[in-house]
Amino acid sequence: MAKEHLSNEAFFTQLTSLIEKTQQKGHGAVYLTQKRLTFDASSTTTTAQKIADDPLWDLNPPNPLPLIIRATDGKSHKLGPEGTKGGKGGRTKNADKVKLKTVVQPDDLDAFFAKYAEVCKAGMQSLKKRDRSKRKKASKKKGGAGTGGDGKV
Amino acid sequence: MVYLATPEDWQRQSSLLLQARPTTARITTKYKIPNLESSKYQKALKRKRDTETGEKDNAAPKVPKGSLVLKTYDPESGVVLKFKTDKAADVGRLIGGLGRLGRHMAALPESTEGECTLPSATWSQLTEFNKDAVMEDAGAPEPTTADSSRTAKAGPSSDSKPQQAPAGSGSGGGGKKKKKGKK
Repeated sequence: MAKEHLSNEAFFTQLTSLIEKTQQKGHGAVYLTQKRLTFDASSTTTTAQKIADDPLWDLNPPNPLPLIIRATDGKSHKLGPEGTKGGKGGRTKNADKVKLKTVVQPDDLDAFFAKYAEVCKAGMQSLKKRDRSKRKKASKKKGGAGTGGDGKV
Repeated sequence: MVYLATPEDWQRQSSLLLQARPTTARITTKYKIPNLESSKYQKALKRKRDTETGEKDNAAPKVPKGSLVLKTYDPESGVVLKFKTDKAADVGRLIGGLGRLGRHMAALPESTEGECTLPSATWSQLTEFNKDAVMEDAGAPEPTTADSSRTAKAGPSSDSKPQQAPAGSGSGGGGKKKKKGKK
């Protein structure tokens, strides 16, 4: 947690390059996490304080809370000098682990996720492309029925 | 550790979990490209070669297939909901789903505009809920919804016929259609 929070813009540019790097390398993983941010940096305590004996204390907060989005390459450990796994000193903490994080304010949520989807769609190239020939017909039928029914109700 | 069968299921269950535990639950999205040189995959290949004659293997496994796993985890109750896909087509709407789940996390009301602009057809489960709600409110519109869905079904097929006809008319349209049907 050495680094500061990135701005949403900077997060996206770095996330794009992280996914791209993984893609070019040909193997690897990217982990993306999202969570409610309950820790306020300006005050020392958590903003949402747990109320004793009430299990539903966090269900209706007075104000919308920001989210924290994290991205890592999942490389917490380095392999040993000869690439040996396990054993004594075989794995060491990886100081170069890629860690990105950004805070999204409630107001920016929709815009953020729209951009997020774009970045992911553009970056994740190893997933199966849509099979244009067969699947299109089936999905067309389904899609037509769904939207038609919805629109007129 | 449960893998849910459909993205709709995952979305619904996750949304329920988030409504119950908005502070502790988190969503992790893992995009993984496997390393085909790792020992795990080498073993798998060897086994295949033992059983089959290994000529198929040479062509197939050179491109690693990526996968996307979505996981909703709540450490307080220990609930894990997972969904795995390998289709690029799912990415957009899954992330859209993350956005909607994000609204639960942020304690915002369920999205007002976002839901309408999304391709509602893909979220068949959601539309079903909507229909049910309407029917409960007033029994009358039931026949009209059925009619509208019928006309909607008829719509694309009537559209597609004229499209196919000119393409096939060049060289015996009837024969071509039959071939397409068989495939």
